[in-house]
Amino acid sequence: MHSLVLDIAGTLSAAANLFVVAAGLTLVFGAMRIINMAHGSFYMYGAFAVTTVLGVGAGWRFWLALLAGAVVAAVAGLTVEVTVIRRLYDAEHLTQLLATYAVLLIFADIGQRIWGTGYRTVNPPPVLASGISIAGGQVPRYQLFVIGVGAAVGLALWLMLARTRFGWLLRAAVQDPESVATGGTNLAWLRTGVFVIGAFLAGLGGALIAPMQSIAPGMDVSIIVSVFIVVTIGGLGSVAGAALGALLIGLAQTLGAEFFASWAASLIYLTMIVVLAIRPWGLLGVPER
Amino acid sequence: MSHCQPVRPRHWALATLAAAAACTLIAACGNSSAGSASSGGTVTVGESTTLSGSIAELGESGLQGVELAVADLNSHGGLLGKKIKVVSADDAATPATGAANAKNMILQDHVVALFGPVSSAVAAAEEQLAGQYKVPIFFHTSNDISLMGANFNPYAFQVVPNTDMEPRAAALYLDSEVKAGKIKTPLALGTFAPNYSFGQDSVAGFIQALKYYNVPFKIVSQQWPSLEATNISPNLSALIAAKPSVVYNAQFGGDLVTFVKQATPFGFFKKTTMLSMLNTAELAALGSQAPAGSIAYDRAPWFAMNEPGVTAFASEYHATYHQWPDTWAVLAYTSVQVWAYGVKHAGTFDAGKVSAAIAGAAIPTIRGTITIRACDHQAEIPEYVGTVASSPSSQTGFPLWTPGSAFAAPFSKIGLSCAQMKAMQK
Repeated sequence: MHSLVLDIAGTLSAAANLFVVAAGLTLVFGAMRIINMAHGSFYMYGAFAVTTVLGVGAGWRFWLALLAGAVVAAVAGLTVEVTVIRRLYDAEHLTQLLATYAVLLIFADIGQRIWGTGYRTVNPPPVLASGISIAGGQVPRYQLFVIGVGAAVGLALWLMLARTRFGWLLRAAVQDPESVATGGTNLAWLRTGVFVIGAFLAGLGGALIAPMQSIAPGMDVSIIVSVFIVVTIGGLGSVAGAALGALLIGLAQTLGAEFFASWAASLIYLTMIVVLAIRPWGLLGVPER
Repeated sequence: MSHCQPVRPRHWALATLAAAAACTLIAACGNSSAGSASSGGTVTVGESTTLSGSIAELGESGLQGVELAVADLNSHGGLLGKKIKVVSADDAATPATGAANAKNMILQDHVVALFGPVSSAVAAAEEQLAGQYKVPIFFHTSNDISLMGANFNPYAFQVVPNTDMEPRAAALYLDSEVKAGKIKTPLALGTFAPNYSFGQDSVAGFIQALKYYNVPFKIVSQQWPSLEATNISPNLSALIAAKPSVVYNAQFGGDLVTFVKQATPFGFFKKTTMLSMLNTAELAALGSQAPAGSIAYDRAPWFAMNEPGVTAFASEYHATYHQWPDTWAVLAYTSVQVWAYGVKHAGTFDAGKVSAAIAGAAIPTIRGTITIRACDHQAEIPEYVGTVASSPSSQTGFPLWTPGSAFAAPFSKIGLSCAQMKAMQK
């Protein structure tokens, strides 16, 4: 019983954090057909921004830091979209991939100038710092908070896509960009908007994990590997797929750690291979036309 | 994980800058080549290490130790009348980059000595080059036993406790805690280590050491989070669910700090004794969150070594860099002193003669006199173990070790014999 509660909370919190980041990546791909490697940079900048705002203190500033992390990433995203991505909508996939990879490397270097090469750590706010007893097991409150944020982000994205004019335009722009443009919508700014939201989510994911991880250069590359697996499993472009993919990866990590400890890392890739063998376009994706 | 990082040479600014500037003005004096003992001019030494990525802090700390040691040498007139200049480069923890850096330093900067990387894989690549070009190389952070075993060459020196000594020291300390009745046996043992050679070797070494010292144990959980794991929650949950009484954790740096922070809300440290490489930097990062009662092993903890030279060094380091020196800085500083001793006693920068002067010598350093064993060029130094304190030290403002708990595991007990090392050397 004890173990089950811990496992469920561990799985869900890992999944929730992956989902927040993956949702941003898959949203951008869905709307713009661009695989954005620099998504990892936005995540890292979000986490580092938290360390800057928090410094050594904690308390109420944590909530400000969380927001600042997401906003810093969104501003970085805006800059990248306007200066680089906007010129690449009609380019080959490979060109886009190389360009966004170049952006990742540049951001990594700038990041080192700003935040240095060492690692930084921050504390969760006091109210979330301790554990809480659930069914005999002690679960960290911060894990529950992360799960809550993941659920809230999922809900907000669903509302945005299904219930708002922006979401409607977005879906229309994927199907038929020309009609949307002739309808009087500024396609360029619509795309910028999506890209900024994607970056915001990456930054939020990074900010969210800051108290759980050491913040160091290199976390940009490691997250991009993980979220690529998540969105590939779920289906590129599908937000619900990203949620499902994140859950599967979280579950694979937990089951792996529990039962095949020395194979835990491979289990993630194995999950991906199995899913792609059966459904090459991902669980909730649609085959490319 | 490969980052494309540019090579960034850095030059130690203080005394050496003046010397370098003077050189530029005179224009005639470049780097003197190895072996020349005439007065005046500069010689260059190289430190290629990891200055980017998640282990960059170890590299930075080591580089600062080397730079401080060289600045101190220069302020006392340099070596054989020459000022010393440090060139450094980032190896991004990649053997190919480290080897390229070392080659550049040898061929273009004409370095008379190399000081060494964080990663043992990089060290192995550089060791080969050092042997090929005949340049003495000093490892102060990378500590794989094979560097002085299968890969041994006469120009390489290990001024740091090796991978074999570390887990043995931890097990020895644990054994004394068991004998004092502080820890019950059989240990319900959990292990937690990054899933690559260092992690696997450390865990295997620790388990071997427990058997060697006859500490009864039963393994209840072994966790191997992948190096690029962004979230260790699943591994941590599995470990805690197995209810270990003792956990050997082979993580270090930021990963170890993360582990402590994540494990604390589970009530982990109330029920479990953790053994790990919690060094000064990690204790500083954790501050009041340091896991009191955990067992820490450290290759050169300035605060527990009880050497006036190290204490003075720590003050100097703190005044220069505004932080307390991590183990890597102490070791790096010492390694420069070992080289300097060799040069002084050989009366030349010639690699062969310097190496011969060091092998088997008892060398005065900030940490007292240390002997470099002739058979494998391993420094006969102890590994330190202690218990993390529950209250902050008045000197640093963050907890260090419980006073009186520091234990220096002697080399004679934890090091392999010359016969064993000779068997590993080809």
